[in-house]
Parts: sequence; C-alpha cells; structure tokens
Amino acid sequence: MKNGPLFLVGLFLSVLIAWSGIVLGSHAQLGRQTPFFDEGDGVAYPARQMGLAARGQLVYADLGCASCHTQQVRRPGFGNDQGRGWGERQSVARDYLFQTRPQLGASRFGPDLTNLGGRKPQPPTEEALYRFLYEGSPTHPPYAFLFENLPIAGEVSSLALKLSGTSAPASGRQIVPGERARTLVAYLRNLNTVYDYPESRPLPVEQKAPAKEEAKK
Amino acid sequence: MSAPTGSDPRVEQAPVTDEALLDSHDKLLGRQPDDKAHYRLLPLNLLFLFSGLIFFAGTYLGRYAGHFHPSVFNEHGQPPKAGAAVAVAVDPLVLGKNVYGQVCAACHQPNGQGLPPAFPPLAGSEWVAGSEERLIRILLHGLQGPIKVKGTEFNGAMPPVGPGSGFNLNPEKVAAVLTFVRKEWGGIATPVAAAKVAEIRAKDGTRPPLTVADLEKIP
Amino acid sequence: MTNQSTNAGAAEVTAIDTHARWPLLYLIGAGLVWLIVSGVLSLIAAIQLHSPAYLAECAWFTHGRVEAMRETAFIYGWAANAGLAIGTWLLGRLGGYPLRGLNWFVVGGVFWNLAVAAGLIGIAAGEMTSFAVLQLPRAVQPLLVLSYAATAISGVLAWSGRKRAGTFASQWYAVAALFLFPWFLTATQVVLLWTPVRGVVQAVAAAWYAEGVFALWLAPLALAGAYYVVPKVSGRTLPSYEAAPVAFWTLIVVGTWTAGRHLVGGPVPAWLPTMGVVGTSLLLFHFLVLAFNFKIALTPAGTAMNFLRFGLLAYLLYGVFTTIASFRGVAAHAQFTFVTVALEQLGFYGAVSMLFFGTLYYMVPRLTGRDWALPGLASAHFVTASTGLVLALVALAVAGETQGNLLLEAKATYAEIFQQVSVPLMIHTAAQFLLIAANLLLLVNFAMSAWACGEKACASAAGLLRSSSSMEASAS
Repeated sequence: MKNGPLFLVGLFLSVLIAWSGIVLGSHAQLGRQTPFFDEGDGVAYPARQMGLAARGQLVYADLGCASCHTQQVRRPGFGNDQGRGWGERQSVARDYLFQTRPQLGASRFGPDLTNLGGRKPQPPTEEALYRFLYEGSPTHPPYAFLFENLPIAGEVSSLALKLSGTSAPASGRQIVPGERARTLVAYLRNLNTVYDYPESRPLPVEQKAPAKEEAKK
Repeated sequence: MSAPTGSDPRVEQAPVTDEALLDSHDKLLGRQPDDKAHYRLLPLNLLFLFSGLIFFAGTYLGRYAGHFHPSVFNEHGQPPKAGAAVAVAVDPLVLGKNVYGQVCAACHQPNGQGLPPAFPPLAGSEWVAGSEERLIRILLHGLQGPIKVKGTEFNGAMPPVGPGSGFNLNPEKVAAVLTFVRKEWGGIATPVAAAKVAEIRAKDGTRPPLTVADLEKIP
Repeated sequence: MTNQSTNAGAAEVTAIDTHARWPLLYLIGAGLVWLIVSGVLSLIAAIQLHSPAYLAECAWFTHGRVEAMRETAFIYGWAANAGLAIGTWLLGRLGGYPLRGLNWFVVGGVFWNLAVAAGLIGIAAGEMTSFAVLQLPRAVQPLLVLSYAATAISGVLAWSGRKRAGTFASQWYAVAALFLFPWFLTATQVVLLWTPVRGVVQAVAAAWYAEGVFALWLAPLALAGAYYVVPKVSGRTLPSYEAAPVAFWTLIVVGTWTAGRHLVGGPVPAWLPTMGVVGTSLLLFHFLVLAFNFKIALTPAGTAMNFLRFGLLAYLLYGVFTTIASFRGVAAHAQFTFVTVALEQLGFYGAVSMLFFGTLYYMVPRLTGRDWALPGLASAHFVTASTGLVLALVALAVAGETQGNLLLEAKATYAEIFQQVSVPLMIHTAAQFLLIAANLLLLVNFAMSAWACGEKACASAAGLLRSSSSMEASAS
C-alpha cells in the first residue's frame, strides 16, 4: 500500500466490480423484461398503471407509507404471508415492471399492501379507505390533512364522507377527499397481483422436500 | 504562530508519538524501512479460517444461486428449459383456484354454496361428482334452463367460459378449474386433462347453450 | 505504557492540529448539532410507534417523513460531518504535514450542511426519494456530490503527499472512505434518480447503496479512528496487525456484495439473497481480524477508550448478527420486524457513532490545545449514552421478536400485535430521551471547549493588533 495511485485504483476497481455485479448484473437480467402475454386471455400482464393510480403512487411515496407497509409477498412456506391473506403467490420482478418507483418497503408494522385490491373475499371499498384514512384507527394515524372541510353549497358532494359521532363535521359542512386522497385511494385499490405468471408459481411437489430442510437451518 | 502553541498541560499525553506508532506497525507488516511492499503471509490459523469461509461461501453459492437465472425466485428452483414456456409445471389446483375466484365465484360463491334460485351449489352436487365429459361441455357451451341439484330446482343461465366465449379461458384453464372444483367439492382427485378439453372443443365446435336434456345424452 | 491521563509533560499538540483547528471544529460542531436534531426526530418517530396519532394532523410530521428525516439527519448530518473531520485529521497527522486545500474543505463543509438542511426541509414537504438511506430530494443531490468532493480533497492530498512511504491502517480506511463515497453516490444517483432503472432493479440499487454507505463510508471512517486512538492511548502495538491489510481489503471488496440480504424472499432472482449470505459470511473474516487487532482495547484507559471499546464490540456483534439474519430460515421470522431496525441501529449508532465519540474525545483536546472544558461531563456522557443505547436496542429486539412470532400466527390480528409490542416500544421512547440527554452533554462540553479556545485565540489576536497599532503610533 505504498504505491499511492495503485492503491486508489484498487479501491476504485473493487467497488466498480461489486457495482457491476449487483446493480448492472440485475439490470442486465431484468432491465429489458417484457410484460407476459397470456394467449388464453389475449391480454398482457401486468397492466400499466394509469392516471390517478400512477399519481397515487407518488403520494404513497412522499408520505413515506413504505416505512410501515411492505409491498412484497413471499412465497408459500416462507413466513406466513399467505396465511394472512396478503396474496396467494409470491411477488416476482414482473409485478413491478411499470411502477415508476416500486415501494417494496422493509417494515411490516402495518400489513402488506401488494394485493390490497385483490383481497379475498372482498377488497376494501373506496368509501372504507377514505374513512380509514380520515379517522385512522388505534394502530394507524389519521391523515385528515388529505381531506377538505368544505361548506355545503347546494347538494352534498357525492364523495363526502358519511361520518358520525365525534369525527362528524359541523352542520352545513362536509368532509371531502382532496385530490391527494383520491389519487392515493385509486392507487391502493389498483394494487393487485391476481395474475399468476409462470415464474411466480410454486415449485412442483417433488422439489419441495429440500425446502423444508432449508427452513430448519 | 506556527510553533506548537496553546498546549494545555492537562491534555492527556499519548504514550506513543505518531512516529513510533507508524514505525512499530510498519515492522509488523514485514516492511524494513525502505523495503518493497509485500505482505507477510497470514498467520496459519487465520489462513485456515479464511479458506474455510471461502469454501463455505462457494458451496452455498453453487447450491442456492438458482443457476443465476432471472426468473428463478426460489433458491431450490430450476431455470425453465429452453422453448418450454408452456411446459412449466403448473399446479392445476392453484391455477384452478385462481380462475374459480376470477370467473365462477361471482355466481357459485367462493365457498361453492351457490345462490338460489338461479345459481346452483357446487359443493356436494351430484353433477360435480358425476361425468367429466358433461362438466367439460357445460363449461365450453354454457347451460340454460331448469336443472335439479341436490333435490332443489334451479333455473338460470350459465354462460360458456371456454375459448371464444366472453371469458375466453384456454383449455388449460378450463381443465384446471374443473380439477379444482372436482377435488374441492366432488371428492375426485384425478385431474381433468387439458388435452381432453381441447379434443372435445375441436369435436363440438361452437353451439348454443346446453339444456339438461342435452346433458343427459352425454355419457 | 501508562494508561490513565497523566498531567506530566507537554501536551502533544502539533502545528498540524493548530493549522486545521477551526475548519475541523466547525465540522464537528455542525455534526453534533445534527446529532441533536436527529435525536429529537428519533424521539418523535419513537412516540408515533406506540401513539400513532401523535402529530398526525401535521403533514410535515407523518411517521414516514419523520423516519426519513431522522435517518438523513443522522447519516448525512452527524455521521458525515464527524466522519469527514476525523478522517481528514487522521490523514493530516499521519501524513506528517499541515493540511493543504483547507479553503476547499471549508467551502465544501459549508455547502454540504446547507444541502442537508435544504434536503431535510424538502423531505418534510414531501420531496423524499423514498429510497432508504438516500432520502434527500433530487434537487440537493448534485450539491452533495460536489461539496463532499471539495471537502475530501484535503484528506486525499494529505495522503498522497505524506512524509513517509509506509502507511498505517487508519490511513487506508480513511482514504478509502473519502475517495470512494462520491463515486458510488454518483453511480447510485444515476441509476435511481437521473435515468431510473426499471422495477425491482431500483430496489437492488438502493440496497447496494445502503450497504455502501455502511461498509465503504461510515464504518471505514469509524475504524480509522479506532486504529489510531487505541494504540495511541494504550501505548501498545496492535496484535495480529499483519492480518490488518487482508481485513481491510475483505471489507472493501466484499462489503457491498451483501446487498441481497435486504431482499430475502423478495421479488428478486434467488441469486441476489444467496449472494447476500455469501457476502456476509466472507465478511466474518474482516470482523474476526478486527477482534484480534483490538484485543488490547479491553484494558481500561479513560473515556475515549470506553467509547471505542463499546463501539468495537457493537461492530463485531453487528457483523455476526447480520450474517445470521441473512440466512433465509432466520429472515423468514426476523425480516420486516423491529429486529431489522435494531440491527441497523446497532451498526449505525452502536458501532459508528460510538467509535466517532471515542475518537472525538481524543481528538478535540488536541485541536483546541486544552482539555475538555467540563471533563466530568465526558464520563456522564458515556454512562448515559451506553445505557440509552443498550436499552433502545434491547427494547427494539424484544419488540421485533414478539412481532415476528405473532406475524407467523395467522390468527393474531394487527391490533393484538400492536398491543403486545407497545410496552417495549415505550421503553424504546424512554431510551431515546436518554440518548438526547447524553448527546446534549457532549454538545455542551464541546461548545464550552471551543469557546474557551476561541476566546484565547481572540485575546492573542487582539494583543497582536494592539502591539502593531502601537508600533504604528510610535512610528508616526
């Protein structure tokens, strides 16, 4: 390490190799991935996020929802993601193909949202999501700032929340979701991984034996 | 001002000077004051440990890297074979369950209990437990008019779901959903073959929805 | 081989120290202020974990944003400033000449802190990038690179123009950190912010960057301090030092191949998490050699050594635990829980911060040329900080363990999980109070020391002025 320039070149090359291996390597593998065309359905999956939903993802990102919610389901037998009804198959790279900024997240202090719009038996309704965002719950903060408290001019807005009790607005006023709330809810309802890609299917049964052995380690 | 000024006698005096520090450690690296840069070999025990770690890492990588394939997400998985995109082993029960959820559950309900008076139950139905040929044809052509299931009369119209219909399910999916329904509610474990669905489809072509009378002609 | 501080003999303050006194003190001071800011934000975030409605009516303080600000203020505010000061000082001292390029150093330091301040406001206003460890808004990112590069010039110049050919471990680690950071920051900005790659490749690049920030930047700066101060204070050469170069290169070469450990079971090809296990396992060698090298840190020798010992221990534990947690069988339980948070805190706070504190307790008196203004506060700082940190880490680990077990049971509802973890999370909040108190002790002590030093400098400058003006008067 007495040779100064050589030392710096060594440092640089070490990092360049690691970056190429991890980042460029996965980019080479996944950067040109295409949607999967289902011959039977005659449709390509995943669908592009359109309009409100795509803008809603930016709201999701800037509020930092990813600090408590993940958007990645692990495969059956790995953790308990299926048992919690978060999705029946594992998430694969293709699911995120058209997302401008995938929100994989790293904490599950709140539930996973990958398949919120495809929940069984019923996904949450628009109305329920608005109420949840406005009122919060004992485990979730209320985001009242996404809503507008407006005077009722003429008819009550069709989007106005039907609230009762302490959270109800004063008479003659209504709580209407603002633009950010509307895009966020459109995004959340659009989240689903209902379609089954070939690479997302579980391994055939005879290969499952070593998986158990691995889990014990 | 550049002379070492402002020294406070209370500042803790380091036992070694920088010079002594560098000298003593230089020696440990096997450098004579003006030697070429070369490292003494690692102590034997460290070398041994290092090799052990490399051996473990190499073995682990070889075993669980999924052949470095972009579409292998399970470390025990195999990359799909070239040109065999369709031949990827699919569990028909999983596929069937999904298709059931997307297509059938709206009328027959997720639990297969149906919704009288129009939508007959599948759970415990003698039709589900009965002839495979009939079931395939119901899915391919649809079913119209009254039908008796579990002793109750139902009257509805089931649209066709097979290729060319509004749902446009391919033979693989038709077979999968039947496999799922028969396993789940008919107690029949033998899967329905996609080839058989395709064969019946080719033989019958398209036709108007069946009635119970048509069904009874089918073995 | 004396251990305790001896008042005998002239203090070892050289022209190298006095020359760079104010630029270095400026960075350290700025870092300490950011540390308090980050502490307050951590406290808010900690309260929100058990009382979600806290500050929820204010969009600027939603949990997600507070969390991002806390992390940013800690890494780019505190750790970056303190680390730059420590790295540059070490390279200057070991290089044997007064630092060159100090004007660049100061300009870079000023703009770096402006960028971080603007960035924090940007995050609060909703401009965060939503990549962990790289939350600063797009708009300030170029300024980060430029100002860092300007600040790092002094250190790299001191290294390339050093007095002697042979080098010491502190120099390798410090130069690596100063030299590499702008490169991998730029590379990451390009693939995440300027021409974003598609889909999950973004998550891979962000995970790689997060590993880089620890393994190629902050940990090397922290280790540079430890490699210097431990032998200086104990007066002994480091055992097994001949293995130190291999440990160094293991960290640099393997350190970021571990990125896949953040994505176990995730929507990335299986080879990435597998590579994560491979990386963390190989890194064990680095940690092992460090354990041998720093055996001598176990002997008690004052506050600086206390911090260093704590930090080194935390660093070793971090190495062992990340390795264990990167295996799929363990990750299936621990991933996405507070165990991950505890592990990250162990690395960034337990190891990096505590090593920085230790180095600063040795370094600041040599910069100011006088002992700490309030030496009693130093040991109080150690007691409070280590208690707070251990409490916070244990509380998070317990919360994470409970959370992980309950998540595996399909029947446990989220309300139940929340109830079960709320007690450890309240303890975590209490620990955050302790940490703020501890760091305030250091800030006060530092401010008083710098003030006393400044007063003396002013007095001598005033004295010079007076004598020169009287000379002029007599001449006329």
